[in-house]
Amino acid sequence: MASESNLQHSLEFLRELAARQGVAPDDADLEAVLGFLNVILPALAEIERTLPPETPV
Amino acid sequence: MSLRGLAEELKTGVLSPREAVQATLDRIERLDGKLNAYISVRAEEALAEAESPPRGPLYGVPVAVKDVIDVAGARTTAASRILADNVAVRDATVVARLRAAGAIVVGKLNTHEFAFGAMTTSPHFGPAHNPWALDRICGGSSGGSGAATAAGLAAGTLGTDTAGSIRIPASFCGVTGLRPSSGLVPNDGVVPVSWTFDAVGPIARSAEDCALLLDAIADTRSVVEGGVEGLRVGVVEALLDLADPRVADTVRAGVSTLVELGATAGPVEVPLLAEAGTIKQLVMLPEASNAHLEWLRTRLADYGADVRARLLAGLFLPATAYVTGQRARRVYCESVSRLFERFDVLVAPAMPVVAPRIGEQEVELGGERVAFRLSVIPFNSPWSLAGLPVLSIPCGFVAGLPVGLALVGGRHADETVLRVGHAFQRATDWHDRRPPEPV
Repeated sequence: MASESNLQHSLEFLRELAARQGVAPDDADLEAVLGFLNVILPALAEIERTLPPETPV
Repeated sequence: MSLRGLAEELKTGVLSPREAVQATLDRIERLDGKLNAYISVRAEEALAEAESPPRGPLYGVPVAVKDVIDVAGARTTAASRILADNVAVRDATVVARLRAAGAIVVGKLNTHEFAFGAMTTSPHFGPAHNPWALDRICGGSSGGSGAATAAGLAAGTLGTDTAGSIRIPASFCGVTGLRPSSGLVPNDGVVPVSWTFDAVGPIARSAEDCALLLDAIADTRSVVEGGVEGLRVGVVEALLDLADPRVADTVRAGVSTLVELGATAGPVEVPLLAEAGTIKQLVMLPEASNAHLEWLRTRLADYGADVRARLLAGLFLPATAYVTGQRARRVYCESVSRLFERFDVLVAPAMPVVAPRIGEQEVELGGERVAFRLSVIPFNSPWSLAGLPVLSIPCGFVAGLPVGLALVGGRHADETVLRVGHAFQRATDWHDRRPPEPV
């Protein structure tokens, strides 16, 4: 029940972010995006952690 | 016949441009109903243009381009519903250069929707079918370019490659494809995926044919003769270990051929290989979302589900992700460039598997079912992340389906990978094998 509630919160959060950019995805789209973010955000955090801080763009 | 052989016959008058174009159009008419390599065919225009093409190195040669590349007066659909009626006003620079070299553009080739996927199974224009097995994908996104080249529906083609889109169909269709160094070939007049990584390049039957096309579109003068004596080959063992063992064995045999020709080979460890896919996505996804932002707002339902999900993903990454991606890319590029102090080329499987069946979303690797779209990333993203030239050449077959060997060169060493590919193809006949005609 709790995880279902978390999922709904996450989808609602993404829906709001999308709306602020003028985009209106449905729940199926957002669930696909959420699955992707759940993979890439930890990988991003790891890259941020190991990247030498003095590295410029 | 090879593109070079055809060009020679046209130059010497054995064949006229009109005859060459008509023969290609006849073949498209006869076979493309089974392959779906073409989205549109310029039959009347091509025949008219064949009356007096410029007397350049591609005089009268029938070519075709992926349908994300503008040809004046023709539709550029990107295999999408959104651009289904989009007629290009002017030629992309690469098309103008092909024409200036004498080539005749006979049509526009099927692609994954918006060149943003590895299958070429557009829900709007239908899948391109692999000439080696019609129930299998051509790979993507330049799948029509791979299929048309393999089936002889054009003497040479252009594709585009952001994350493997030339190399994947070249590997799956048993033809030769070059992703040029980033920035070598102009991208204007091409529907973008990701400005940092997009590259237009040739798919043809051989390295020699790819060199002819590259020279036309990049204004280069490639010398493919010279062999591989003393060439230092770095073998990317980590990718061989990840691939289907049958594919890995086929690629290892290809490395042995290079050694027999005089090269030396040794293992190479590519730094940040496991991270390269993520770093690339951090840059590519926001750029793709940005390129599509207006259509995401107004035409969201008109995308296929897979492309829509990928484009939406880029909207939700934090701004810092893009910056981190660019910074990590700098570190990666510097590390990889140092490898080319020890090696002239790197060798790896172009793909970990042979072409999956149309509709299959997963492939078997290491005893596990893996999403096909994820399986391709380690084999393609590391090289395009660094903007390196990569030539995929046929090096054998597994279960009757082609296997591609990737030759990776240092930045702007496009001529080197073409030279190595040419030497390999002079010693082997994998690139001369033809699929059966579809019935």
